[in-house]
Amino acid sequence: MAVLRKPFSLLGVVALLSWLALLAAALLYAHPGLGGVSLSPPAGLILVLQALFTGIVFLYERKSPERLRGVDFIGLLQRLLLGPALLAVGSVGLHQLLQMLLPGSINGSVLHTVLYTLNVGLFVLLLARTNYAWRALMMFRGSERLQRQWVAFELLLGATLLLRLLPYAPPAAISAAVLGVLAAFGAYLSGRQKWVAYLSRRQKLEAVLLQLAIIGVMGIFVVYFLDTRLGFRLVGPAPQNAFLLLNAFFASFYALMGLLVTLFNLPTAGVFEQKREEILTMQRLTQLIQRGQTTDEVYQMFFDSAIQTTGANAAWLHVEATDEADNHDLYYQLTADQGSAISRTLAEFNLGNLEYFNNDLSSGSFSRLKLPFGSLMVMPLSSSKRQYGNIYLLQEPVQAFDRESLSILQTFASQTVLSIENLQLIQASMRTQRVQDELKIASAVQDSLIPKNLPIDNWFEISSYAVAATEVGGDFYDFLHLPGRRLAVLIGDVSGKGVTAAFHVAQMKGIFHALMQENPLARNDREKYPVPSQFMTQANDALGRCLEKSAFITASLYIIDYEHGGFVFARAGHCHTLYYHSIKEEVSYFQTPGLGLGIIRHDGYEKHIKNQFYDYNPGDVMVIYTDGIVEARDAAQEEYTEERLQRMLEESYYLDAEQIKAHILADLHEFTRGQPMHDDQTLLVIKFRSTQPGAGL
Amino acid sequence: MKITQHATETTLTLALNGELDASSSVLLDNELSKPEILRTQKVLIDCQQLNYISSAGLGVFISHLQTFQDANVKLVFFNMQEKVRNVFEILGLDSLMTIVPSEADAAAV
Repeated sequence: MAVLRKPFSLLGVVALLSWLALLAAALLYAHPGLGGVSLSPPAGLILVLQALFTGIVFLYERKSPERLRGVDFIGLLQRLLLGPALLAVGSVGLHQLLQMLLPGSINGSVLHTVLYTLNVGLFVLLLARTNYAWRALMMFRGSERLQRQWVAFELLLGATLLLRLLPYAPPAAISAAVLGVLAAFGAYLSGRQKWVAYLSRRQKLEAVLLQLAIIGVMGIFVVYFLDTRLGFRLVGPAPQNAFLLLNAFFASFYALMGLLVTLFNLPTAGVFEQKREEILTMQRLTQLIQRGQTTDEVYQMFFDSAIQTTGANAAWLHVEATDEADNHDLYYQLTADQGSAISRTLAEFNLGNLEYFNNDLSSGSFSRLKLPFGSLMVMPLSSSKRQYGNIYLLQEPVQAFDRESLSILQTFASQTVLSIENLQLIQASMRTQRVQDELKIASAVQDSLIPKNLPIDNWFEISSYAVAATEVGGDFYDFLHLPGRRLAVLIGDVSGKGVTAAFHVAQMKGIFHALMQENPLARNDREKYPVPSQFMTQANDALGRCLEKSAFITASLYIIDYEHGGFVFARAGHCHTLYYHSIKEEVSYFQTPGLGLGIIRHDGYEKHIKNQFYDYNPGDVMVIYTDGIVEARDAAQEEYTEERLQRMLEESYYLDAEQIKAHILADLHEFTRGQPMHDDQTLLVIKFRSTQPGAGL
Repeated sequence: MKITQHATETTLTLALNGELDASSSVLLDNELSKPEILRTQKVLIDCQQLNYISSAGLGVFISHLQTFQDANVKLVFFNMQEKVRNVFEILGLDSLMTIVPSEADAAAV
């Protein structure tokens, strides 16, 4: 008993005390003079004590923690039946047994009174427990309104307890009316049986049995109390016991209604379960993606679910081959030969990749396949983009599939396709992410190839600017100090963009550093390093072996000898060098011929490349750049042009190298404002200084 | 980019219209890769409507240059706009390829 299990509960203790008081009063009333006490309590006192006990037990149950755990309705019913119901029935059984064994002697005895009072107590407890269990069932997914209705019901029932305290019995008509109204209220509440829908077929059967048992227990008590009429009437007349009666009525009626609802639900239980299973399958299919599963797992899941929900005896999932995977086909109780025979037959009738079911395979074209199956259903897995495959489901009986199973399968199929396409999207985005990460690395590597420290000397100033249009660019420039106060400057542009171009840039830099090594066989100082045209010929030779056919590289190599105040350069298809001649006070382009690298790959390149020598003067300015500068476009798609670049130098030649560069860039940026960058841009400005204090001439 | 073809027994004329950039150069490459082109004597490229040529476009001509030479097919450009001609010259291609002012000159090559 809960009362005993929770001895510290104040209400429990009070309930126990009130029951003991009731027992004492009953004993004294039924057996005057028992134990030498001559006091005989009035009948009203017993009724008041009984009402008090009942009220306390109901309050106690009301305050008890919720007995329904989640959706364990069967557990709730079982605990109710195996707990207070069994105890109460056992006690009643004991009383009846004693009456049978000891006829006559027990009636009117002290034992009889004790047992009877005990049974009344247990019955009250059972009623309280049952009604609050019903409240839990009723409130399952119940509304706020229902909550209020229940409280009203409780209050009204509570009021009937007070009826016992009335000094006189009210007219029978009024009592009957009150009872009738309350009973109707209880019956109305008994309609709340939402919980039944959440039971599986098996649970529904269990629920029916459990509810039958509870109604049976209520019946036993009715018979018991009707049978056992004592001098003091603890049960009845009706008005005084309206509370117990109404509660017993409600407990039984709710159980009865639940029983009926469950019974009527039994035939449809299978359908409910199937729907539930379908929803769960859908959820699982969807969750597979979130868990980052593979397409194979999605296919397996779909295959298993399709077999399970359609009850197929055999099945085949054919997955269209893609280049990245070999074969994902899944078979269940079917051989590959049987499968392909079916798909061939379907293809003959132009039914391949269509929704289809055939409920009589023993006739028509399928009969010659001699399959041990009567029914076939086919569902394609396809989206608007592509066909993923087909599922074939077979059942032994004929007429096994219907429109309903076809539509369920269709729902599965579309969910599966959705899952697969989502997976592919995720994988694609992961691949893209990886490529982007690698590009970032490539970009960082390339950035490290760009000279960070420009050569510094008293003889000249250098200022540089380089921006790539994409992560990795095709423009390059480099410097190398050579012995004898010479500086090699290389600038160039690889055709194409992206990673391939970046590789060639790295290659070109390697060639530059490899070729610009001292030749130990040189006869004099001047021959120790290749002149620019030699360099270009050797570079063309080296590149010819590795550049793809349509790729080429343009480059210019300058070797500035600032000891002798001159430079030599060769232009291999690269942009013309813009130059300010301080002597002539004139800006012009060096017009020299020269073929790009990698265009002709046989001997004879040297015929297409020339060296250009020039003795510079202090104040001269050399502007070298890539075509990204002169071919930059404005909003009208007009190019920046060599002419405009020339004009910029004419405006700024007298400034520092850094300022000249800034002047050109300001104009360029003004020109291309708001336009996307199409090509890499590189710009170097070299200004030869007019004075060289301390120069070792 | 639009490529119009005109073929005679010995000559194939391709008129290029628009901008020859990375994407449109694929079209041109398809045209120049056809095996029957090597059986003609001359491939004339009409550049009158060619407004722009990118390095990818130049790459297409460069990649076929050797094959044409080996098969003795002459590649002749005519009606070239100044801007486009400048691109050919800077790269030094004018020393490898025949660029003439007009169609009549091209026919005479």
